This record gives sequence, structure tokens and C-alpha cells, in this order.
Amino acid sequence: MNRNHYNFDLNGLLKKVFFVDLIQGLFITFHYTFSKTITMKYPDEETWIPYKRFRGLHTLNKNKEGKELCVGCELCQKSCPTQCITVVPMQDTTGKGIADRVAYRWEINLLRCMFCGLCEDACPTEALKLGREYELAGTSMQRHLLTKEELLAPQAVPAEFEGGVIVKARLGTDETGIKVVPDMSVQKRWW
Amino acid sequence: MIELLLIGIKVVVVTLIVFALPLPLTYIERKVAGHIQVRLGPYRVGPHGILQPFADMVKLMFKEDIIPAKADPWLFRIAPVIAMVPAFVVFATIPFGEKVTLPILNYEVNLYISNMDTGILYILAIAGLSVYGIILGGWASNSKYPLLGGLRSSAQMISYELALSFACIGVVMIVNSLSLVDIVKAQSGWHWNILYQPVGFVIFFIAGLAEINRIPFDLPEDEGTLGAGYHAEYSSMRFAFFMLTEYVAMVSMSILIVLLFLGGWDGPAFLPGIVWFLLKVAMLIYIIIWTRFTYPRYRYDQLMSIGWKILLPLSLANILITGLVII
Amino acid sequence: MAEQIFFFVFAILAVGSAIAVVSLRNPVHSVISLMVCFLQMAALFVMLRSPFIAVVQVFVYVGAVLVLFLFVIMMLDIAKAGMERFVSGGKLWVIALLGALLLEMVLMISRSRLSAITAPAAGRLTGTVREVGEALFTKYILPFEVVSLILLVALLGAIVLGRKELR
Repeated sequence: MNRNHYNFDLNGLLKKVFFVDLIQGLFITFHYTFSKTITMKYPDEETWIPYKRFRGLHTLNKNKEGKELCVGCELCQKSCPTQCITVVPMQDTTGKGIADRVAYRWEINLLRCMFCGLCEDACPTEALKLGREYELAGTSMQRHLLTKEELLAPQAVPAEFEGGVIVKARLGTDETGIKVVPDMSVQKRWW
Repeated sequence: MIELLLIGIKVVVVTLIVFALPLPLTYIERKVAGHIQVRLGPYRVGPHGILQPFADMVKLMFKEDIIPAKADPWLFRIAPVIAMVPAFVVFATIPFGEKVTLPILNYEVNLYISNMDTGILYILAIAGLSVYGIILGGWASNSKYPLLGGLRSSAQMISYELALSFACIGVVMIVNSLSLVDIVKAQSGWHWNILYQPVGFVIFFIAGLAEINRIPFDLPEDEGTLGAGYHAEYSSMRFAFFMLTEYVAMVSMSILIVLLFLGGWDGPAFLPGIVWFLLKVAMLIYIIIWTRFTYPRYRYDQLMSIGWKILLPLSLANILITGLVII
Repeated sequence: MAEQIFFFVFAILAVGSAIAVVSLRNPVHSVISLMVCFLQMAALFVMLRSPFIAVVQVFVYVGAVLVLFLFVIMMLDIAKAGMERFVSGGKLWVIALLGALLLEMVLMISRSRLSAITAPAAGRLTGTVREVGEALFTKYILPFEVVSLILLVALLGAIVLGRKELR
């Protein structure tokens, strides 16, 4: 102990006198000043495409021949914890669906939906999927009451797309709410 | 008559420029902060966020001006103004360059409002006054965190003003004058005072950071422990006045360092003096912003021990050695 | 003419704020009035062609001494301090004494040579720092050193009083 007391740390003293550590710190931050930023320019220039497992806005799918997969079995309605799905089945022999029973009405109240995905699990024909659209902010309540026709329309991100990338995007706002339109041709990963 | 008119024009021009300076400075500070932290900083208002300060200004103007119920209403209202006035009055004696000849009138104009015989002393004295705004703002809010901020500010200001003034004395001893114009003239031709007074420069820079409440010495407005400190209760334009004061103080401290230690408008002849002056000031402002986002904040006891146990003895020793060398 | 107008502005403000120092109830307001008073004094020093003294006045009194005043006064219980009366009922003789003192001062000033000095010596605003310094370190070197010694003793006394272990 005593010996240490007399052991004069010249190196450390010089470091303190000439602010060596402080100047090193300054150089680190200076290096970061001119390094590439990791900010995603959402929503003006870029947007994030989630992975396939993402649970966003619902879609009603069709099979390869273009027939509605939904058979109006009402299992999704029954499995819904918040009771936001309304299904009214009807008989249909025109060949619109894959069976002679299709949904006459298939409505969802997104204001109550909590995107748990139980409806997706309950669906026997894989007609119902939770898609990857997540910009659901709107200016009116009506916008959140979606009908079968709106859900049948294909979403901007195709179901087969792997996801997990940043793509180019454009902010389009209309009277109903905010829409960020992705452009899938330019992709990058942010890490 | 034309003399008086010129002084009036100079006062108006300098005041307007100083009033407008915080706008780009807030933008630059936020951009530098963003890029140091590998972010972008303001980006959405205008191209690369260039209009952000104007948006902020409009927002601050239209915010509600809240006066706490138990505050001292008179002092609470007047404190931001008390803080702001000294920051502007300092510019009365700051020289910005050599004489220029007006192009059309063919009339020689000095690039300073007044060349006082007691230039440095005046600036140090007036700059010390802006602490009143901080103390009174903190006290008048009648709230614990602003009060602590005000108390910290007064103790810090007194401790560091000593070191700041003593660091100037070395320069004054070399130059033999208190006038800032004389000090700059004595440094022409690369005889910059930083070469003769390196210790004085370091002390002045550190004490100056403390004097203008910048990190690592921004204890009066310590966000971490005091929640914005002395201006925690302020909103709207009164808050804006405090921010304005802070940025103007940063500019005037940078200018003072340039004038005292970095040769003022002295530089290679291919650029006019005023350009060199502005470049140096901009560089110093950048360094002050840069340090803000590099270093953490000192603890209060550390602040006091740095001021009284290191900077003050060092500055006294600096004066002693300078005196010995001159003799 | 202009100088006289400025003189009266500064003088009236100085006297008014000095009265405010002793008459205001709130101690912090008193300190602010004292600050205003000191600033007006500095302005008057400038009018007396002595910018150095003016700047030192601002630097030392306004910049340092009053900040310490504020530092202490901010700790006070303002509501309680505001209730206290400056001159409590039984001490009205103090006012009489002060009146006598005022009368004496007025008499002294009116009889002294001060009134003989009419116009200020042809003053200039440059070079005063050098003159003050030279006068201090040549002609008045002894008083200057004695004052600094007294200040040093006071400083040491403050440190001794402030030490905890001494009691």
C-alpha cells in the first residue's frame, strides 16, 4: 500500500493534463457524425415490410381459379374474442365459391379487433389470413368497418413476399386517412 | 450627425443578426446531435428539415403562456428579459473586423459599435449579469426544481467567473490593453495568443463552457436530475427568451475566445478578415456543440472542485508565470 | 444639455430604487432594486468620465456581491420575512436619529468645497485604465497594499469561522 502511494503515475497524469481521453472521446463522436445513419425515413421515403408472420389487416383469399375460399362456416365469428366479425352465409350455385355455400356478408369492425389471429387459426379453408397492412389510422369510424368486397381486394404486399425489408415508399393521404404506398422494386435491409 | 446615424444603423443591424442567429443554431445543434447519434435529426419540415426552426418558432409563439399560481408574477414575467438583455448588450463592444469602406458613399466604417477602453472588463461584467435571469426565473417559479437550478447557477457562476477573468489577465498582460481591438491588433501576423497562453486558453474555454451553461457544466438545467431546471415552469415565448439567451451567450463566448486567443480576424490574406473571423467563430460553435453530445455532465461537487481546486490555482499560476516572462 | 437629462434620469432612478430597497416587503424584490441602484450608479460613473470604475462597479457589486446576496436570500422563508416590520413600534426614535443624520449630511455637503466644483474636468473616455493603474501602483502603493492586507485578514477570518471542526 505504502509503496503504491509513492509510485507516481506519470503516464496517467500526462493523460489528464493533455485531455487525452477527452480528445479520444471527441474523435469517436466525430467519426459517428459522418457515418451512415440508421434512421428509416418512414413514411415519406421508406417503409418497413413486415415478415410473413405479421398479423395486420385481414384478407379474404381466393384459390387459383379465382373462386372464393370462404364457405361461410362462421367459425371465425365464433372464435373471435371481441366479437368483431359478422358472417351471414348464403347458398350460391353460380360457382362463385369453392362450395355451394359462400358468405353473403363478411364484415369486420377493426375498432374492436385486437389482431389476435384466432380467426385465422379457426378458418378451415385458409380463406381468412391476417395480412401485412398496418397503416390503419383514419379520419372516420366508417373507414374501420370493412366489408367482404374490400377484404377480397388484393393487398399491396403479396402473400408470398418474404418481408423483413425496407422498401421505397410514398406518403399518400386522402380524406379517409393515411396510406403509405410501398414500391417493392427497391429493397434494402437496415442492418 | 452621420456618426450618430451610423451607430444607430450598426446597433439595429447587430441586434437583428443576433436575434436571428438562434434560428439556424438550433437547427445546426439538432442536426449535429442527430448525426453524432447516427440519426438524421429534423428531416420532415422542408428539405432536410431546414424549416424546422421556423416551425418551432411559430409553435412557441402560439403556445399558452402559463404562470404558476404560486409564482411571484412580477419577477416571473421579468426574469426572461433580465436574462436576455445582457446577452445582447455584450455585443456593444465586440469588434467584428477591421475598417471597411462603404462602396457607394466612400465612407470608412469601423466594424464595431464602440471601442471601449475597458472592453474585456465590460464584456465579463455584463455577461455575468445574465445569471440574474436564471436565478430569478428559478426563484420566481416557486417550485423546487427551478429553485435548485437557480441556486446551482448562482454558485457555478461565481466560481467560474473568477477563473474566466483570471484567464483573461494573462492576455491583457501580454497585450498591455483592455480594448478588444488592441488585443486583436496585437495578435496580427500569426502571433495568436493561444501560442503564448495555451494554459490560459484551456482555462478560458472550460470556464466559458461553465459560464454559458453548456454540457459538461449545464447543471442549472440538468434534465436528468432537475427536469429542465430553472426554466421548468416556463412556456411559450418566455421559455423561448431563455433559449435565445443561451444561444446568444454561446455565440458571444465563441466570439470572445476568437478575439482573445485565436487572433480575431487575422488569417492568410486570400480571404477578407471578416470571413476568417466568422469561420473561426463557426468552428468554435461547432466544437461547443460537439462537446455537448460527447461528454456526460459533471456532478455538482465535481464542478465545484474543478472550479476552485484546479482552474483557479492554475489561472493564478498562469498569471504569475506570464508576469515573470514579461519581466 | 443631453448629458443633464441623462444625469437626472439616472439619478432619479438611483434614488428611487434605493428607497425601494428599504421599503419593499419582499427581500428578493429589495435585492433587485439594489441591483438597479448599482447599475444607475455605474451609469453615473460613466458620466463622470470614469468608465473603469463603472465597469468594476458592475463586475464586483452587481456581478458577484449581489449574486451571493440572492443566493442567501433565496433560502429565506419569504412569507415570514415579508411580515416582519423594519422599524417596530418601540423604536421610532431611530427615525428621529436618521433624520438628524440626514440634516447633518446636507449641512456638511453644502458647506464643503464640493459645491465649488462646477464643471467636470475636461474628461475623456480613453486611457483611464492606464491612469488608474499607474496611480494605484506608484502614488498610492502603500494604501493599496494595506487594503489588500486587510482583505486578506478578512478572508482568513472567514475561512477560520467557516471551518467545522473549530466550533
